[in-house]
Amino acid sequence: MSDRVYEILFIADPNLGEPEVDALTEHIQGFAEKEGGRIQKVEKWGKKHLAYNIRKHQEGYYVLIVVEGKPSLVKEVERRIRVTDGVVKFITVRVDEELRKAEGRRAARAKVEARRKRPATPRPSAAEGEEVPL
Amino acid sequence: MSFGGGGGGGRGGRGGRDAKGGGARGDKKDAGKRYFFRRRKVCKFCADKIDYVDYKDVKLLSSFVPERGKVLPRRMFGTCAEHQRKLTLAIKRARNIALLPFAAD
Repeated sequence: MSDRVYEILFIADPNLGEPEVDALTEHIQGFAEKEGGRIQKVEKWGKKHLAYNIRKHQEGYYVLIVVEGKPSLVKEVERRIRVTDGVVKFITVRVDEELRKAEGRRAARAKVEARRKRPATPRPSAAEGEEVPL
Repeated sequence: MSFGGGGGGGRGGRGGRDAKGGGARGDKKDAGKRYFFRRRKVCKFCADKIDYVDYKDVKLLSSFVPERGKVLPRRMFGTCAEHQRKLTLAIKRARNIALLPFAAD
């Protein structure tokens, strides 16, 4: 079974300093890597205001980790995140399938557009060709 | 009977029928008005060719969510069914991670 791509987005405690958030991110990356995951991308969004209070926090550090791995990876990583201090909230979303579908749709559209543009010249001949079988 | 089209969410077909059978409906003035002001709404996601509605894109999502954070019906923004489904899911994910509010206070 091919591996899946997951996005782990978590909110770190805003009271932590920048280096501590970095350490926490490394820590969580370590969880994923230990489960055989390959980190594709790590994005730090910085301190952002929360849309609602979570554990009495009004803001938090958002960090996004994109990882490729097996479904069992998510289970273990989520369990470990839950027992980690400093993580206010997190969400894991599987994205490979959606992105693949989006890619397919984009390719299909490109094909249609290419077809639409090309007939500018060969159309007359095609119209003649159609008349013959009729 | 004129309540029927009150929502203003009608598709293109209704205007044509009103123009033909206006006498039967009676409420000619109202029908004309609706016809005049209606603009065909186009799904933003189809128009902009957004295939993947990302829950992380707060800027995009918040343009489809009022201040209070409600998911609005399709007729408000003219999104197509497919993209409305994706939009709804994206909004719910964004709410989970506090990018969008459940209900503003």
